[in-house]
This record gives sequence, C-alpha cells and structure tokens, in this order.
Amino acid sequence: MSALSHMSGSVGRLRAEGRTGVGVTRPGLAWAVPATVFFLLFAIVPLALVAVLSFTSWNGVDAPRFNGLANWTSLLHDPVMTQSVRLTLVLTVAGAVVQTPVSILLGVWAAGHQRNRAVLSAIFFIPLLLSATAVSVVWRAVLDPNFGVPSQMEWLFGDGNLMGSQAGALAVLTFVGMWQWTPMHALLYQGGARAIPRVLYQAAAIDGAGKVRQFLHITLPQLRNTMITSVILMLVGGLTTFDTVLILTQGGPGTDTTNSAFYMYRRAFKSFDFGEGSAIALVLVMVATLVSLAVVRLSGYDRMRSTSEGL
Amino acid sequence: MKIRASAVALGLTSVLVTTSACSSAGSSPSSGGDSGTIHVLVYGDASNKVEKQIVETFNRTSKVKAVLDTIPGADYQAKLNTVINTPQAPDVFFNWGGGSIQPYVKSDLLLPLDDMIAADPGLKGNFLPSVFNTAVIDGKSYGIPMRGTQPVLLFHNKKVLADAGLAVPRTWDELLGAVQALKAKGITPFALGGGDQWPTLMWYEYVFDRVAGPELFQKALSGDRSAWESEDAKKALGMLEQLVDAGAFGSNFDSVKFTDGGSPALLAKGKAAFELMGSWEYATQQDGNPEFAKSQLGYSGFPGIAGGKGDPANLVGNTNNFYSVLKKSKHPEAAAAFLKLMYSEEFVKAQLAIGNLPTTTNTEQFLGTAADPDYSKYQYDLVKAAPSFQLSWDQAYPPAANTPIRTAVQQFFSGKLDVDGFVRAMQALPAS
Repeated sequence: MSALSHMSGSVGRLRAEGRTGVGVTRPGLAWAVPATVFFLLFAIVPLALVAVLSFTSWNGVDAPRFNGLANWTSLLHDPVMTQSVRLTLVLTVAGAVVQTPVSILLGVWAAGHQRNRAVLSAIFFIPLLLSATAVSVVWRAVLDPNFGVPSQMEWLFGDGNLMGSQAGALAVLTFVGMWQWTPMHALLYQGGARAIPRVLYQAAAIDGAGKVRQFLHITLPQLRNTMITSVILMLVGGLTTFDTVLILTQGGPGTDTTNSAFYMYRRAFKSFDFGEGSAIALVLVMVATLVSLAVVRLSGYDRMRSTSEGL
Repeated sequence: MKIRASAVALGLTSVLVTTSACSSAGSSPSSGGDSGTIHVLVYGDASNKVEKQIVETFNRTSKVKAVLDTIPGADYQAKLNTVINTPQAPDVFFNWGGGSIQPYVKSDLLLPLDDMIAADPGLKGNFLPSVFNTAVIDGKSYGIPMRGTQPVLLFHNKKVLADAGLAVPRTWDELLGAVQALKAKGITPFALGGGDQWPTLMWYEYVFDRVAGPELFQKALSGDRSAWESEDAKKALGMLEQLVDAGAFGSNFDSVKFTDGGSPALLAKGKAAFELMGSWEYATQQDGNPEFAKSQLGYSGFPGIAGGKGDPANLVGNTNNFYSVLKKSKHPEAAAAFLKLMYSEEFVKAQLAIGNLPTTTNTEQFLGTAADPDYSKYQYDLVKAAPSFQLSWDQAYPPAANTPIRTAVQQFFSGKLDVDGFVRAMQALPAS
C-alpha cells in the first residue's frame, strides 16, 4: 500500500517536472513513428511472415499449405542442417580468432606517426573497397590448382586441391574473409588507439616500461570496448557469410562448407522449398540472437564501463 | 545484416504472391496486361538475337502482338517460379522440358499442346522425336523445341593424343588403356571441372546409359527406387570408381571449374587429353583459345561398353530448350501461330548462323549455312541417329532434386560416399 502511494507520488512528481521544466521535456512519441514504421514494415513483418512460412509447404507457385511441424522435424533429422550450424560456428569463430590479432596489430601500427604510414594504410584499405563477389572471383583464380599460385608452389600446396577437402575449403574461406575484412577492423582499432590518452604512455615510460609492456598493459586494456564492438561485428558477419561460400565453394566439396546461410539459399531459391528455407532462416536468427546476447553479457558491454576511470 | 535482407526478400515475395493470388481469385486476370498481346519470357543471353528476330517476324502479320521479355540467365528460373502463378505471368515461356516444367504441370498451369498439334501436325512432325519427347509429360506434349540441341561429347586435344600415339577410344578398354598411357607421360587423362559438380554428373549419365541402357534411369525417374540398387547400377558405379582410382581425372579435380575456364584451359594447354562436356565446349574454346579450337580440338561420341545394354549411339545432354504455353493465356491461337515459326526456314537459318543447332527435320538442308558446318553436321547426325537422347539427370528431375544429385555425384568421386552410400542418396531423392 505504502509502496503504491510512493509510486504514484513519484509519477506525479515526474509529471509536474515535465510540465514545469524548461527545455527538458521528452520528445513526443510521434518522433519515433517513421523509424518504427520502417522497422515494423521491413524487419518485424517479414520476420513474422517467415515464421508463418516455416510451418508451411510452399514451392512459390501454389498457395502455401500448412504442414505443421514437418519442416522443423525434417530439419532436426537433416544431417546437412546440423552440420551447417556447426560449420557456421566454426567459420565464425575462426574468422574472429584469425582477424582480431591481425587487425589489432595493423590498427595500432596505423595509429602511430611512422614514415609512409598514410600511404601503406591506404593500400591496406583497398580490399574493403572491393565487393565480396569480386574478391571471391579473384581468389578463385589465384588459387587455381593448375594455373594459379599452387601450381608454382608445390612444396606448400601439394597438388593444389584446396577446394577438394573440407579443411582446405574452410581454410580458404577463412583466409579470404580475413583478407577482405581485416582492413575495416584495423580502422576501428586505429580510431580506438588514437583515443588512448598520451599521458598513460608517458607515465609508463617514466616507470621504465618498454614498447611491448606498453602495448600489453596500456594499449590492449584501453582497446577493450573497441574489441567488443569489432568482435560483435565479426560474429554477426561470420554467421551470415554467404557470398564467398557461393562463389568460392558453392557449399562444396559435397556439402562440406554448406553453412546455414548458404543452405537456406539452396533450399529456398534452388530447390524452391520456401517452407524449409524459412525454418533455416529462423534458426539463423535464433543463433545470431543468442550469440550476440552471450557476447554482450560475457563482456560486460551492457554495463558500458568506461576505460578512462581514474584519469 | 544479410540474414535480415534475405528474410525481408522472402517476406516481401510472400506478401506479393499472396496478394496477387487473392486478386486473381476475384477477377479473371488479363494475362500479360492488355488484351492484344502475348508475352514471351525467355532466358537472357546471346541467343536472344534470334528470338527478337522471330518476334518481329510474327508481329508483321499477326493481329495479336508478341512482346519479348528477357530475364538475365542466372535469375531466370527463380523469376519464372515467382511470376508463373500471378497475373504477371507470361503467355509463353522458355524452359528445359522434363523436370523444369513438371511442377507447373502438376499445378495445372500449363496448356497441353495436343489440340494445337492435332490442328497442325507439323508442330510435332517437324521436330526430331528424341528431342521433342523431352517435353512430353504423362503422354501429353507441353513444349515446342525453340533453340539448339547440346549433346555431351568427348572432346580431345589432337596433338596430345598424337604425341602419345593414341587413337580416339571407341571402347571402355581402349579408354582405360589411354588413361594408363597418358598417366605414364604425366598428362591428366580427363580434364574435369569437379568444382561445378554438373560436369562430374555427365560421366554417370553416360556410364549408366552404356552399362544399363536408358531404361534404368527412366525407371528410377518414374519412382522405382529399386533401379538404383540393381546389378547394373552397381556395375556402373564400380566402373566409375575404377576410373577415379586409376587417376583418370588427376587428384585435384574438385578444385577445378569449367565455368571459370579452368578445365577448358587444361585441355587447350595440353595438360589434359580429353574433356567430357556439352557441345558448348566448342564455343568456349573458340572464345578462350581460338587457335586451339581451330586446329587441335577434336570430338567424338562416348565409347561403348562391351557387354552393356546401352547402344553406343545413345546420347545424353540438353536435348533442347522449349517454349511452353500457360493455360490461362487469353490467346492460345496466337501462341500456336507463334510456335509454328519454330520450324520455319527463317528460324533454322538464324539459329545456325549464331552457332546453335536446331532440331527440326529441315535443319539438315541448311547445315551448309552454319557457323561451322562440319561440327553442326556431326552433331546433327548424332542426334538424328540416337536411339535415345537422355536429358541430364539434374534437369530430368524436378528442381528440388538438383542439389542432392550433384552433391552425391561429387561425394562418390571424392570417395566420401561408397557404392551403397550413393545408392541410398539417389533413393532419397524427392519423388518426381
């Protein structure tokens, strides 16, 4: 009872402040309408429709027919689906593990004031300007077993059958992803490194810390928030990797690199089974949501602790 | 981000389709917009030149005008599937016959052409039967051949064979002998674009045909799954396995593609001696390696297999492309008049001039006008004499079976599936 009166009291106080406060009134809900409408129309409504479609059998020609849980049970027993989720996670984790150290080193280096830094940074940045399709086509040509680099470097590549084994094909996908996306993450780290207060390094230098210790004990901890941002971007990007798979491996050899995004495309747009394609899309949405939530929770990103406390 | 985009696409398509389905239920749709036209939807590529010309010819005399709509090749099938049951559907559309139109026949969207054929027997009689039959489903005709035929042939590099002292193999044993001789010289016997998967499938199509005859696949296609575990099927698979194990394709074929020019380059540069490929290999080589195409590119049919049930003259490949007519077209009589042009003299000459090989019975008299008369004549005689011309497996089955077939043939060649595994994969294909 007393809690209730306390609450109503505070609400009353808020209202009073809202009316009397000068220039601190909250913007009206009307301002949020355009964005909300677009979000509803282009994100929530399609998502809901996909959810509905996932309980139907639909070839895109006849009207969709509800078939209950048939798509879901068949996915549950589909070895390609189970494998695709595993491959999605493998590609995602491998991408993050390989790209993060390279991006940090490149980004921190690019944040300095060395000679030729600007020119080299511009060159490193080029892959990001190319479309994923162009990048994939180029790398396919470069890695051609008979006419590309492997044919000249047999001591390293053997017969050059990179796309013929699961491990080889996954390695190629990870490598090409790294080649393409490292520049963007390096850019993030460059910005992050530039924002680190100089006084920290000056103090450390006075205390006798060398370059390596400064990097390990100042730069890295100070980049924590940048790192979380970058890793989330990598994870989301990795979960939805599609274009490189389509062009480099077509999900093969066999189904050895068929990740969930590619499998969804295959079921929906190659086999014209939109019901099952929708179910796969929903699985991806769920996996992506869970992974993002987990990263945010585990990293403490939701609490947004500052890295400048005590400065 | 990309997931969301595809989810949006998927959702929007569904919105569009459901709303248009509703509207078509209410009032009868005017197919293809206004009443005085028929829309012709075709696969967009270099051959459109002829289709444009034929449409112009048609429009000169017809009251109902034809409108040609082209869709860039890679998007064609998805686009067709999206519009075919909407008011935006065309009246006449391009397809591959067989499995590519079967779902539409099942949905009762296509017009059987048998009445048109009864009125003008030339609509059937003027085409080679082995080709025409590809678009016959459950005894009814649904398509008229409208481009060129593309049988799969065994291409070779004449210089490599001459250097190795080999003749073109006519039997399986000669083929195995060639594999040994070429390997000894460090040459990959057969270039194979395994990365594309469909070139690998061509080997199955021919070996199954030669060992078991065309009936085995027809039986399997019509739903008799036991065909895949028959003695003959296992024998064919055993021979393929033997070929792969003998190193006939080298070891890195899964990293090579035909579509990016990898396997044709192997053949042209003499790193491989043979390539089993559709007749378009010729155009591909002319494009990429004109010198080689002119003087060193040889071709032959697939060898016979001793003791096998299949006639060595049997062919596999793309029999032709077809025009089919939608049931709800408002001008079937105009469509029929349009289809008649597909065996006209003008059509045949125009196709031959751009390197396509039409499959009308009158093609023979114009072969001299072809871009390459010898090659056209060779193919035409093959197709005409073939007791059976099997449409590629991945096109004979409906689209849903496409990927499982390609995956299985790839995995069997790479050793991931054994004979029993392959048989199970084929038996699990969605029924036609």
